[in-house]
Amino acid sequence: MRKDLVFGMAGSGGDGIVSAGDSLLQAAAAEGYHGVMTKSFGSQIRGGESSCRVRISTDPILNPGGNLDVAVALNWDDFLKFGAELPVSGTTVVIYEAATGVAENEIPLVGVTPLQVIAVPIAAMAKETAGTERAKNTVVLGLIAGWFGIGAVAVMKGIRKKLAKKGEELVEANQRAFDAGRAFAMAHPLKASMNIVASETKGDVKLITDGNDMCAAAAIFAGCQFFGGYPITPSTEIMQFFTDHVWKYGGAVLQAEDEIAGIGAAIGASFAGKKAMTATSGPGLSLKGEMMGLASIAELPLVIVDVQRGGPSTGLPTKTEQSDLFAAAFSAHGDVIRPVLAPTSVADTFRITIEAFNIAEYYQTPVIVLSDQEIASRKETMDPIDTTQFKIINRLRPAGADLVDYKRFKQTENHISPISHPGMLGGTYLASGIEHVESGAPTNSGSVHTRMNEKRTRKFDSLKDRKDLFEVTGDPHAPIAMIAWGSVAGVCREALAMAQAEGLNVKLLVPYLLYPVAEGVYNDFFGSVQKGLVIEQTHLAQTFKLLRMHLDLPKGLRSLARSGANPFLPGEIVAALHQLLSELQRSHEGKLQPQE
Amino acid sequence: MPSKGIDFANLSLMDALDLAILVEDEALVRYEDFAAQMDQHRTPDAAKFFRYMAENEAKHGEQLAVRRAELFGSAPPTVSRALIFDIEAPDFDAARAFMSPRQAMQAALASEVKAHAFFVAALPVLKNAEVKALFEELRDEEILHQDLVKVELAKLPPDSGLSDDDFVDEPAAQ
Amino acid sequence: MSATCEFQAKDYKSDLKPIWCPGCGDFSVVQGIYRALAAIGRPPHEIAFVSGIGCSSRIPGYTTAYGFNTIHGRALPIAQGIKLANPDLLVLAAGGDGDGFSIGGGHIAHLVRRNIDITYIVMDNQIYGLTKGQLSPTSQKGRVTCTSRFGSLEQPVNPLLYMLAYGAGFVAQASPTDLVGMAAIIEEAIRFPGFSFVNIQSPCVTYGEEAQQIKGLKAISESLVALGHNPADRLAAMDLAQHYGEKMHLGVFYRNPEPAPTYDGLVRERQALLSKDALPKERILDLFIKK
Ligand SMILES: Cc1ncc(C[n+]2csc(CCOP(=O)(O)OP(=O)(O)O)c2C)c(N)n1
Ligand code: SF4
Ligand SMILES: [Mg+2]
Repeated sequence: MRKDLVFGMAGSGGDGIVSAGDSLLQAAAAEGYHGVMTKSFGSQIRGGESSCRVRISTDPILNPGGNLDVAVALNWDDFLKFGAELPVSGTTVVIYEAATGVAENEIPLVGVTPLQVIAVPIAAMAKETAGTERAKNTVVLGLIAGWFGIGAVAVMKGIRKKLAKKGEELVEANQRAFDAGRAFAMAHPLKASMNIVASETKGDVKLITDGNDMCAAAAIFAGCQFFGGYPITPSTEIMQFFTDHVWKYGGAVLQAEDEIAGIGAAIGASFAGKKAMTATSGPGLSLKGEMMGLASIAELPLVIVDVQRGGPSTGLPTKTEQSDLFAAAFSAHGDVIRPVLAPTSVADTFRITIEAFNIAEYYQTPVIVLSDQEIASRKETMDPIDTTQFKIINRLRPAGADLVDYKRFKQTENHISPISHPGMLGGTYLASGIEHVESGAPTNSGSVHTRMNEKRTRKFDSLKDRKDLFEVTGDPHAPIAMIAWGSVAGVCREALAMAQAEGLNVKLLVPYLLYPVAEGVYNDFFGSVQKGLVIEQTHLAQTFKLLRMHLDLPKGLRSLARSGANPFLPGEIVAALHQLLSELQRSHEGKLQPQE
Repeated sequence: MPSKGIDFANLSLMDALDLAILVEDEALVRYEDFAAQMDQHRTPDAAKFFRYMAENEAKHGEQLAVRRAELFGSAPPTVSRALIFDIEAPDFDAARAFMSPRQAMQAALASEVKAHAFFVAALPVLKNAEVKALFEELRDEEILHQDLVKVELAKLPPDSGLSDDDFVDEPAAQ
Repeated sequence: MSATCEFQAKDYKSDLKPIWCPGCGDFSVVQGIYRALAAIGRPPHEIAFVSGIGCSSRIPGYTTAYGFNTIHGRALPIAQGIKLANPDLLVLAAGGDGDGFSIGGGHIAHLVRRNIDITYIVMDNQIYGLTKGQLSPTSQKGRVTCTSRFGSLEQPVNPLLYMLAYGAGFVAQASPTDLVGMAAIIEEAIRFPGFSFVNIQSPCVTYGEEAQQIKGLKAISESLVALGHNPADRLAAMDLAQHYGEKMHLGVFYRNPEPAPTYDGLVRERQALLSKDALPKERILDLFIKK
């Protein structure tokens, strides 16, 4: 019996493998399991290769998993295109389409001998039972139900619901295909059973959603009433969610003519007194630079979501990467601090997006939420979230006394000045991208500029004390450490658990606040660190360099960085940690020996 | 004709007085604007002269206002600002950076000439005798104003004949 | 919406001293705006005045409205965000010919087709003033500037024709040769329910050519009313607009006699229609429950 299974399936777009993954995830949730699903596509618009990973577990899931337990290949060409995204190992059961004509001992996976390889006449079964090969994906779901014990009832319940409007005939055809798959599995049991144990939380309500929808829902929850943006993969769903829902809350959404206009409209809405947001991906972030600078100097609250994809330029539009970190922290000219936050999962996207709005409102600043393609488009199941635990912060409004001879950019102790908005009597002022004195009147005085720079940057001092925007797990005194953020943090959390199970003394720091760099938090964390890794999906090790720019890093802290679309596996990180440990031991031994 | 839809033929004395006050007021505002522009651009002599003109216009306007009050009390005016434009006020672009006092005075003189022409042109159309008398008075007033400026002009030392543009800094780009 | 007490032009004048060169046409534009706003009578705090970057874009600061002097070319996108966030506000946008028709040119078609109820005033001086006299998109072919030493090789854009072709509901032109007319046109543009555009020939006394100064403008100016133009006739308006650059027609080229619904108005309707379907915010995640 298994508590955790990772499925990886690939085929061509016409095989409906991603929709099978969806059905599997939903069925798993209905049966009380936790699940995470990621999708990956080739570059064709339709009909190219597509794949999904579905991980199902009795325990909460930290990431989409490493090596596959079950690989499903509807055709080998497509499967192989996903390379490291669908890694097969000696513990994987490989199920593939018999019609590919490949013998079970000749499957084209070099260098691995899977646990078991089974050719199944999937297309033939679909054709025979449902009358069309298109039902292949339903046969696959039947096979999974039969071999692994997931979704025997729930899968068809879901399909029935989905197809209800299309007529009973179609439902019945799917039912026959499903039953055939299941019967095939029963008739050909696996060498070693891989049935998943029943979940104890069966029947409890579960949420299923992806990072983009979660982000948009969180924004509306936080009080966001305006969204301006321009479509770009993989962030577009955020705008779509707003289009569906924001009106209901008295808000509006604008699909602008380009990214500049999108953020411009959001800045306008913020100036008009509403919480506002824009979302984009790398190329759009590049265009928004100047507007972000405007929001910083005009001290207007604004949330900018950047769903990272492979860059530069069009790069890898459908693959994940963390390489927008520098752009998020530093794009736009001038001396400016713009907070950057990063969620690590779909579930915590809710909290982090709310934090982004709170920080934007409190500090009157643009804030970037650095999501990534993986989090944005992966689906997660999760337990219901108690939304009442989240505090909502609104910008400081001028009170009666402030409105007498109102000074929009008044110097205050915490550098935060009450902000009025059009419509407020007594609060009129000139907002501007040009440097200004306290009243808002333009100036080109060097001393005012210095003072205002000081105001606009010192106000973030208190943000750096926000320890709750960091997560430290593992033994706080551990000599070996990992630092990771975003979707990579999830892999590292799992690696941490695996390493600890293997007796390694390791700790992990996950920053949700990436910028400004909270020196104090890192320095505390570094106290015990002799060896460590900053693990990230960027070719240039941007995170490592950002930290090195602000901090004296422990000598043994190294970078483990790689380009996007090459996911980290928990296992390889554990191996790297072992390597660190042995280096550490060697150096200790070295110290005992007389030096030459 | 720098005026809009004024029915000169049927103009009442009260309306004529109100219009005259507005004309003075318009010129007053323009001169003040010019003076401020000159202050802002470090041209104090021209600023001083424009302010002097503004004071003249104010004084004249006040005199007219007193007369109007004596004759018609606080009866609400029926003419509006929208009826007149640039009758006695210089053109917007008559101001220039680094204007010499001479240039400032010439700009003012031009506008007094313009105002004079306005009254002269209106006179033949007027029917109401009292209004006619007022307009004649205003027309002559403009001659006096012109003389006033001419006196100031005469006080100036002779022009060097050099162009200021050859000495001043270029504008600053931003 | 309140216009309880009356306002005078001076109530819209701020204490900031304009940085403009003495004699700059923009001085007249700000006067025209004071007068138009006074005629409309909305209190300054209910007005949002947005601009880009350029000499002309300094203008919001010289009014007592809520001003926003933004970045080069982006007044319109920001203004539309303000209007959508709070449709009760009177929203004005303004800037130069370069700001509007060069760097910001891409936004115009979209503002127009959305028909957001804002008034856009361009101070068209056929030059880049703030950066010291470079070629602008409305500079005439052959024009010599510091970036076209041997004369410009390109045709200028025609702002009036642009706007008419994009389908703007209100298109007009004014100039400081007629301040009263300018004020009246701005007022009418603001009162027009929908996107309205006023091109103001505003001479740059520092970099402008002689022909573009007030005297020159007076010589080529022609009142549309005097010409007997019917502002409800869009094709006739386009015909007249073709003379942009040779003649200066003053007045309203086009006023849609049946103004189309505004985007901001439609947004309100949609909000009202859909608000009954709103889950309480604290239950928004219920959307993700799969039963
Ligand atoms: C992105 C960007 N590019 C260039 C500039 C420099 N710049 C400032 S104003 C301006 C043009 C001004 O011309 P116009 O818009 O016609 O306004 P005017 O000064 O003539 O009123 C330019 C190019 C800038 N501020 N920002
Ligand atoms: S440079 Fe031209 S446009 Fe700019 S302020 Fe001077 S006169 Fe006006
Ligand atoms: Mg210009």
